[in-house]
Amino acid sequence: MRSVAVLVFPGTNSEEETVRLLRVYGADARLVHWSCAQTLGEYDAYVLSGGFAYEDRIRAGAIAARDAMMDPVIDGARQGKLVMGICNGAQILLEAGLVPGSGDSRRPTAAFTRNVPPHFICKQVYVKLTVEPRRSIITAALAAGAVLPAWAAHGEGRLAAGAEQMAQIANENHLAFVYARADGRVDDAATPNGSALHCAGLVNRDGNVLALMPHPERVFPARSALFESFVKGVEAS
Amino acid sequence: MIDVALRGDERRRIAEALGREPTRVELYAFDAQWSEHCSYKSSRAHLRRLPTSGERVVLGPGEDAGILYLGEHDGERYAVVVAHESHNHPSQVVPFEGAATGVGGIVRDVLCMGAHVFGIADALRFGDVATPGTHRRHVAQAVVDGISAYGNAIGVPNLAGDAFFHEGFNENCLVNVIALGLVKEKEIVHSFAPPGSEGWPLVLVGKATDASGFGGASFSSLVLDAENEAANKGAVQVPDPFLENVLMRATYRVFALLHERGITAACKDLGAGGVMGCSAEICASGGYGARVDLDRINVAQANLPPEILAVGETQERMIFALPPEVVASVLRIYNEEFSLPEIAYNARAVVIGNVTKEKRYVLTHHGQAVMDVDIETLTKPREGALVPSEMGGARKVETASGAAELDAENPLSRLAALLSSLDGCSREPLYRRYDTVVRGCTVVPRGYADAGVVAPIPGSPLGVAVAVAGNPRYGVANPQLAAEYAVVEAVRKVVAVGARPIGLTDCLNFGNPTSAEHYAEFVAAVDGLAHTARDLGLPFVSGNVSFYNENASGKAIPASAIVACIGVLNDVARIVTPALKQAGSTLRFTRDIEEVLRAIQEGTVLACHVVTGDGVYAAAVEMACAAVRAGSELGVRLSDRLLRTDRGGFLLESSASCAEQVGTVLGEPIVVVGEASRSVREMYDAWAGRLDEIYA
Amino acid sequence: MTERRLAVRLKVPDNTAYTALVALRRLGVPVARVERATLIVVAAADDSAALEGVRRDEALFNANLHEVELVRCSAPEAGEIWVRARDASSMQAWRLFDEDGAPVPRATLEWARDALLCNPAIETAVVGR
Repeated sequence: MRSVAVLVFPGTNSEEETVRLLRVYGADARLVHWSCAQTLGEYDAYVLSGGFAYEDRIRAGAIAARDAMMDPVIDGARQGKLVMGICNGAQILLEAGLVPGSGDSRRPTAAFTRNVPPHFICKQVYVKLTVEPRRSIITAALAAGAVLPAWAAHGEGRLAAGAEQMAQIANENHLAFVYARADGRVDDAATPNGSALHCAGLVNRDGNVLALMPHPERVFPARSALFESFVKGVEAS
Repeated sequence: MIDVALRGDERRRIAEALGREPTRVELYAFDAQWSEHCSYKSSRAHLRRLPTSGERVVLGPGEDAGILYLGEHDGERYAVVVAHESHNHPSQVVPFEGAATGVGGIVRDVLCMGAHVFGIADALRFGDVATPGTHRRHVAQAVVDGISAYGNAIGVPNLAGDAFFHEGFNENCLVNVIALGLVKEKEIVHSFAPPGSEGWPLVLVGKATDASGFGGASFSSLVLDAENEAANKGAVQVPDPFLENVLMRATYRVFALLHERGITAACKDLGAGGVMGCSAEICASGGYGARVDLDRINVAQANLPPEILAVGETQERMIFALPPEVVASVLRIYNEEFSLPEIAYNARAVVIGNVTKEKRYVLTHHGQAVMDVDIETLTKPREGALVPSEMGGARKVETASGAAELDAENPLSRLAALLSSLDGCSREPLYRRYDTVVRGCTVVPRGYADAGVVAPIPGSPLGVAVAVAGNPRYGVANPQLAAEYAVVEAVRKVVAVGARPIGLTDCLNFGNPTSAEHYAEFVAAVDGLAHTARDLGLPFVSGNVSFYNENASGKAIPASAIVACIGVLNDVARIVTPALKQAGSTLRFTRDIEEVLRAIQEGTVLACHVVTGDGVYAAAVEMACAAVRAGSELGVRLSDRLLRTDRGGFLLESSASCAEQVGTVLGEPIVVVGEASRSVREMYDAWAGRLDEIYA
Repeated sequence: MTERRLAVRLKVPDNTAYTALVALRRLGVPVARVERATLIVVAAADDSAALEGVRRDEALFNANLHEVELVRCSAPEAGEIWVRARDASSMQAWRLFDEDGAPVPRATLEWARDALLCNPAIETAVVGR
């Protein structure tokens, strides 16, 4: 069976529910604490969970993205290992330059930044898959156009980037998930944070790295088609 | 020379107790220990009247938190740890930091009992916030941001709470916070040095001591000087939720290690009174003394005077008394595995002294004893010190309920006005800033029902419900009645989700206890709490008293006995929320708690909501609003008979019809009373959006 | 009314500056001390009106926590880097010092900028001489 590491940075806070839900779908998921970073290379896939790594000081995800913990994750992503970041994990993946991944390693080309209005928001939302499911091995087991329940819980979740980069995100199928209503309609009212393109989640070029702002793992009782699809993807990868 | 809150006769009593003039450090130490904040000197005799025992009580008041039995899972007995405190004065002066440090402190109070913290709740009382640019409006915003920043970052969901806006809080807000944790009954960690702990090292853990929180204990026992806030700056406490996040996880690891090795240790949060207060209480309550070397404390700045090292209130710190053989492992967990020194400047775990057989409390600094006193004199509770000479009566009773007005002509427009008022509107724009679902155990998030519900043991259907209450309008009218209502309403909120109430906590926020009038309000409120809790068979397991809540001219806040209720559910799948569920069903009113619990248990209740002083109509419309929010298009037709509902109760939706129904659920989103009708959507928008003007 | 730039600083320990210091050192950037301020631009009739305006704005300033001063220079000084989010009006001013307490050289500032302090996708940074 293939193994999944759930990374724990100083300040991470959603590691327990993340590892629990991965195990619901049969994953061999284990927490890897920052003092054990040297063991990370042995894992087959990585999940970066929610929280406030380094309390998001300087910028959300900025310090964690440059932490030694990320070296094996960046190497692994290059080798095609699956990497999923939720909320703070998503912010870290953008800061690390893995997603959308159009620049050099560790040179971010976009960010999930300060919400509009500029406050933390905790709200039940829906996210809609906007790429062909097979675009990413992580979403491959989802239905086309799947609308999934999740919780937005962040102060910095608005996608921002330069105009050229934004066009690339839209044109090159990086926009994996958008905010939607329960019936799948996409509009500003369903987007809790002013995110560009109503973006809730981005995927890299090769489809093996996914960054999603809202938390599927906080729906009670815990069930997530995305986590299920991720675990299937890990086994198939 | 020294700006302390001790009265002259108390200074004499210190000298008498010591048989000599106190040293500078001793004066500060006794000031902290004997201040209102630490010793409840004006309140202890009255608080004794509260019921504190019962079959569910694992630990009553006395340590950092109370403990209630929750239930069994997988052969283990689990308990809920709960603590309730105020952080009113710091929040008035530096609202963001004051409220944030309030959360940090209450979380450590629960943590240090060996518990995993699974929830917080808050009760907030702000002034008239209508005018932009006022300090009181800033307080209302920054307090919420402070609670949000701290609670969110440490990863503890905000499960329940309430907020009121009343001009009586213009110059003195209330920030009451509650924390909840889960512990196996056999793994409870106490705050007293256990038998046989003579000679054990005392280990200080956490943030490096600085001068930021100096003088906090006396600070909360003095009236705020609104004109001279800068003078209070010594007591500003700086929150570091990042450090607390790591400290919590490291401490969970330490507790696991202690349980693995079968070690009984002591652990306590540092509150007002700092290193001195905490170490003295750990040792004195175990029947020991203590010796602490101030030079071993990890500091953030050089040359701190000994009195600051001894009693400074730097945040994010705890003290352990540990058997010598485990100390190295504990230091390694904090300092290396969880790398505290890299998380915050010079944060770490260090040995600062020992438990001693001799019942002295000794502090040394630069090799000299700067304090050497009898530890019991220092820590013994003192009472009756401040009873006013002449007891005045409570303030005169005014009518506080909005229900009477609603029963008059044109109830729908009055109802719409009530629901869009600051009193009656939805608190969602406020609690949207709180993470209510982190940890993935939240069954009913804040705002979706009268109580928050959480399933704290993964894999177990056991649930914990929590709610708070305490309406300041009743407090103005009649402090005793207000306290009674606070108990009843907190209990009803827990019952309304289908949980059985098992215990209470309280925070008593009042004016200056040396004023006969304000002291009488406090005494009356304790009466109200005591007899109501007794009638309901519920114990108080934790609590706090906050006096001196008044403005510069001595006008006290509305009497505010704030109560939290904890309930249990055997199966969280059976919870009930207020959102209307089904067209054609009926609404009925009852006050019978057992009837409600039985009906929910039998599965005949579709929705349930507490009726407050705002009346049945308001409750019914809120149920329709909750349905709109959940995406249902339902409404209600309500009886136009006048309802005597000012004592409150429950409104239940059920599919069976009954003789005493007060309304019917409609398949379209309108509210109908007699001939009049109104759109639910319209009322919902006004109700849901009102607080956007403050918390947009 | 003319525009004036003001720096608002914490007078209590700055946790963020400490974390930035630890992170920069871990990345190999030779820095021994980090200070931080928020730079804001206000339109005011004179200096004292500008200072007073900030002191009265509770969202920006609390006398128990902060100190505020006018910034005369229109560009960062030696050892200083100003970072502005493209859609924000205020800036973060970072000051980096070496072991001797002297401002770090420009090359070190550029290193700190590229390694951590600025995300070029959403921010612009100006470094001091």
